[in-house]
Amino acid sequence: MTSLPPPKDKDAPGFYTPIGSRRTFFQWVTRAAVGVIGLCLSIPLVGYVISPALKRREKPWVEVGGTDELPVGVPKQLDYVATVRDGYLESKILKAVWAVKQADGQVTVFSPACPHLGCGYRWEGGEQKFKCPCHGSVYDITGKVLAGPAPRRLDLLPSNVQDGRLLVIYKEFKSGIAKSVEL
Amino acid sequence: MLNRLYEWLDGRLHLKSVEKTLLEEPIPGGASWIYVFGSATLFLFVLQAVTGMFLAIYYAPTPDHAYDSVEFIKNQVTFGWFVRGLHHWGASGMVVAVGLHMLQVFLYGAYKPPRELMWMVGVVLFLIVLGFAFTGYLLPWDQTAYWATQIGINMVGTVPLVGDFLAKIMRGGEMLGALTLSRFFAVHVLFLPALIVAGIVLHLFILRRVGPAGPWDDERASLGSETFYPRQVYMDAVVMLGVFAVIAAMAILVPLPLTDKANPSDTSFVPVPEWYFLFYYELLKYVHGPLEPLATWVLPMLIILGMLFWPFIDRRKSRHPASRPIGMALGVLFLLAVFSLLGVSVKNLYAVKRVDPAIAHGKAVFARFGCAGCHRVHGEGGAVGPDLSYAGDVRPERQWHVKHFRDPRSVSPASIMPKFPLSEQEINDLTSYMLSLKKAG
Repeated sequence: MTSLPPPKDKDAPGFYTPIGSRRTFFQWVTRAAVGVIGLCLSIPLVGYVISPALKRREKPWVEVGGTDELPVGVPKQLDYVATVRDGYLESKILKAVWAVKQADGQVTVFSPACPHLGCGYRWEGGEQKFKCPCHGSVYDITGKVLAGPAPRRLDLLPSNVQDGRLLVIYKEFKSGIAKSVEL
Repeated sequence: MLNRLYEWLDGRLHLKSVEKTLLEEPIPGGASWIYVFGSATLFLFVLQAVTGMFLAIYYAPTPDHAYDSVEFIKNQVTFGWFVRGLHHWGASGMVVAVGLHMLQVFLYGAYKPPRELMWMVGVVLFLIVLGFAFTGYLLPWDQTAYWATQIGINMVGTVPLVGDFLAKIMRGGEMLGALTLSRFFAVHVLFLPALIVAGIVLHLFILRRVGPAGPWDDERASLGSETFYPRQVYMDAVVMLGVFAVIAAMAILVPLPLTDKANPSDTSFVPVPEWYFLFYYELLKYVHGPLEPLATWVLPMLIILGMLFWPFIDRRKSRHPASRPIGMALGVLFLLAVFSLLGVSVKNLYAVKRVDPAIAHGKAVFARFGCAGCHRVHGEGGAVGPDLSYAGDVRPERQWHVKHFRDPRSVSPASIMPKFPLSEQEINDLTSYMLSLKKAG
C-alpha cells in the first residue's frame, strides 16, 4: 500500500492517527527521528571535544633528590627529569623545585613559579630572601611576601621523605590571585 | 519564535519558494519505502564526515604518532571509542547503502533516458566511496593497515606500462612510509570530500532537473503522484534513525581492536582487507601466473566501464525488469559471484581448528592426580619421571598411552610409576592431553 494519495475529505475514514492527521504524524515522526539522532550524536561529540579540558591527570609522586644534599636552613633548587604526557605524546622535560630543609629534618618544598605571573624566582643568599626578577616580588625563607606585586605567599608542594629520598607531587597554580588554587 | 525568525529570513531571502521547490517535488506513483536508499547513503556520508572531522581533532598523520594518536582516541578521549566505532561501522554501512541504492536504481531501470547522467555520476560516486575506504584503512598505521595497503598498491603496480609509475605516485616513492601516509590522509580528508560533495550536489541537481523515475510500470505511475514532503521525508527519516541505531549498536557492542603498530620488517603478517573487498581478495587467490593481471585489473576495469556506460549498453526503452532479461541476468550473476566469493572467503577466514574438549579434561585429570610431582611439562614439575613436554611426539600412538595408564609396567617394565585408579573416561582424556603435547602447536 504505497501510492494512494491522501483522501481530500478530512472526515474520511483512515485520515486520523493518534497524533493527528496523517500529515502531522509524518511531521512528528520526522522531527522525532532527527531529534533522537541529533541528541545521540551531539552528547558524545561535545564530550569528545571538551574531554582534555575536563580530564584531571593523576599527579604522581616523583623523586627529586636526596635529603643529604640539602643544607639545613638554606634553600636549594633541585632539578629533575619528569615524564610528561602531552596528549598521545610522552616526553621528558626538566623541572625544578625549591627545597628548604628544616632543623627537625622536615623539608618544605615550594613551587618554582612566582604566584604573581609565573616567572622563576631566585634565592639571594646574601639578603636571605627569594627574589623574582620579573616584577620584583620578594619573599622570606618561609615563603611569606615581603615586597612586590605577589598576591600571596609562595605555593607549597606536597612532599615526603622516604629512605633519605625527597618525593614531591608537582603542581601548577593559578597566577595573580590571593588564593592558592591548583590548576 | 522559530517561526518568527523564519518569517523574517523569508522576507529577505525568499526562502519559502526554495522550501517549496525542495519539499514539493512530485514523486510519480507516490512515496515508497523502496526509495529510501539514496537518502540512507547521504545520511551515512554526513555521519562519516562529522565523525571523521572529530577524529581529526586528535589524529596525527605521521608514522611516528598515528598509532599512538588512535590509541589515545580509543582509550583516553571521552567517547573516543564511540566516535571511532561510528566511523568504522559507518564505512561498512555506507558500502551496504550504496550497494542497495544502486541495486534499486538498476532494478527500476532508472538509468534510462533522461537519467543516464545521474547513473554515471552515481557510478563515479561509488568509486569515490571505495577510494575513501582504501585511503582511510591506512590511517591507523597498525599492521593490518600497513600490509593491506602494501598489497593494494602492489596490485596497482601490476598494470602494464603505467603500473610501476602509478604505484610510486600512490606510495610517494619507492617505499610505503611517511609520504604514503601523508598523501593518503590528504586524499581521505581533503581531496575526496571535496570531490564527493561536488558529485553529490551534481547528482541531486540532476535529480531535480529530471525528476524521480517512479515505478517502472506506467499504470502504477499514473495512479497519482505525491510530494516529497511529508511522506517520503518521513520514510527517509525513519530509515535514517534505523541505520543510525544499527551503526551505534555495532560501535557499542562489537570490539574494534588495533593490531600491533605497523612493523615494515615483519613480512610474516597476513593482512585481511575489509569485508567489502573480501570477494576480490578471494578471487585473486584463484588466479595465478600469466593470467593474474586479468583478475588484478582487466576484469575490474571491464566491470567498472560496463557499469559506467550501462545506460548506453542497455538501450531498450522499457524500464520493466521483465523486458530486460539480459540486464537482470547479468545483475543477478554479478551479485551471485560477489556474494559466493565473499562467503568462501569468510568461511576460510574463520576456519579455526576446533579444540578437542578432551584435552582440557585430560589436563584437569593430570592436575587432580598430581602428576607434576614426578613429571615436568614445559618447565613445571618434578624430574623423577620423564619430561612430558613433547610426549605427543615421543609416543604418538594412542594405544600405548591407554595401556600405560591402565598398567605402567605393561609397556615400561622398569617403570616406578604407580597404577593410578583411573576410569576409562579419565584414561582417554589424559591420553588426549598427552597427544596434544607436541612441538608444532
